[in-house]
Amino acid sequence: MYNDIIIDNFSNPKFVGDLESADYKFEIGNPVCGDRIHMQVSFDGDYIRESRFRAWGCATSVATANIFCGSIIGKSVNEISARKNSEISDMLGELEPSQQHCINILSELHRELSLAVSLEEG
Amino acid sequence: MNLQHLKGYFDYNATTPISEGVALSMQPAINLFANPSSPNRYSVNSHAAISQARDNIADLLSTDARKIFFTSGGSEANNWAIKGVLFKHLNNPGHIITSSMEHPSVLDTVRYCVEELGFRATYLQPDAAGHIKISDFESALTIDTQLVSVMYANNETGAIQPIEQLCSIAAEYKIPVHVDAVQFVGKRLIDVELLGVDFLSLSAHKFYGPKGVGCLYIKDKDAIGPLIHGGGQEFSMRSGTENLVAMSGISVAAEEANRELVYWDSHCFRLKKQMMDLLEAAPIALAFNGATDYDSALSNTLNISIDGIRGEALALRLEILHGFIISVGSACSNNKTKQLSHVLMAMGLTEERVLGAIRVSFGCFTDAQQVSKFVDALVTEVQQLLHISGGEAL
Repeated sequence: MYNDIIIDNFSNPKFVGDLESADYKFEIGNPVCGDRIHMQVSFDGDYIRESRFRAWGCATSVATANIFCGSIIGKSVNEISARKNSEISDMLGELEPSQQHCINILSELHRELSLAVSLEEG
Repeated sequence: MNLQHLKGYFDYNATTPISEGVALSMQPAINLFANPSSPNRYSVNSHAAISQARDNIADLLSTDARKIFFTSGGSEANNWAIKGVLFKHLNNPGHIITSSMEHPSVLDTVRYCVEELGFRATYLQPDAAGHIKISDFESALTIDTQLVSVMYANNETGAIQPIEQLCSIAAEYKIPVHVDAVQFVGKRLIDVELLGVDFLSLSAHKFYGPKGVGCLYIKDKDAIGPLIHGGGQEFSMRSGTENLVAMSGISVAAEEANRELVYWDSHCFRLKKQMMDLLEAAPIALAFNGATDYDSALSNTLNISIDGIRGEALALRLEILHGFIISVGSACSNNKTKQLSHVLMAMGLTEERVLGAIRVSFGCFTDAQQVSKFVDALVTEVQQLLHISGGEAL
């Protein structure tokens, strides 16, 4: 069974696509299940202006990518990086055991965003 | 019967809805309170209901009613056949032949006998069409082979195994053969006596009967030990007071299957051809997994792999956006493992093709309009998933 958050974000993902001019691009994958998510982000000053994704994977991982995109627009990287594990977990709602790996995917998306920005700035 | 709620149901191999006749037969059976084994006058009707059920199942299998033993379903029948035969060889555990695409109730039981009781097992591998080869079976036979257990029709692909040939060869060596026919009974004609099988499992809920009741056909009850010792029910082979409501249901389910089976089969095969034609003409890349022709596979089953998508994701979109229910053989399991269809993997399919596979199965309540709508929805959602993955723009 899938919770309403996953169903809403999977059945009508609003952030699918490509940005014309992305400031940052990064990709994550789960070597076990083979899920792949490609992210694109553009900034307006310190704040994320737009975010888009492409994803190949299970329903929950597609929903996870869409949830991440929606959660970072209008936020700074510092704000996003400050999220606690419990906050990240709560973003996906209650998951079945077979869907729990998507919490790791969401955590990795947070880490990779911070890493991509810090590498660019560093 | 109101069929509106079944319009989107394409998962008949998982379970079938109860037919109206079955439902009507079960309601009055609730009042059959008397213990069938009691000698009082109340028990006459209870006893008669069981006898009728046994007769109807025997007719469906073209055999004698005394060879029909009720169980709680297919899994119990499979466990009983395997353990019941092998437990007779505990002092001298030998060899079992099965296939790598069996139902878990066979695979796990065989594994238990191997790991805990010292038996050895050979797992026959299916070819790309989903069939075991008789030559492989012959090669697997050893001097101490004590049981063969192979399914009649595969639940994921519908591939029909060469059971008659297999039984014929096993008989030459006097090796008992158990056939898990849970997906076959009620879909194709069967004559267990002609087939020469020693044990055969079936389950009512695969042919419009209730859950929780099935049977094991036993050719010779001296060849197998009892499953449950106790009060002597089921000819002292499976003791316990009978479930008369479930038995009344399987009774009518077997009677209806015996009467309607040929029609159901041709109806399903027409729908299968229709779906295959529509899918082959659709603007998506796909492949059918396993045999699809009438003689080699069940008429109601199609296993389809679609390039560039995950079957699990497609199944969810079909359900939540269009109301269609299908099945997938592969799914996320947890962070460390994935659950790939053991049947499709055994057939040698690539992992990507297995992940992109769905199973569609029809039944007597499916119609041509539903098939057409299903294919339209499938094409729409495949294109949407390809758009999400960047595989192809909409």
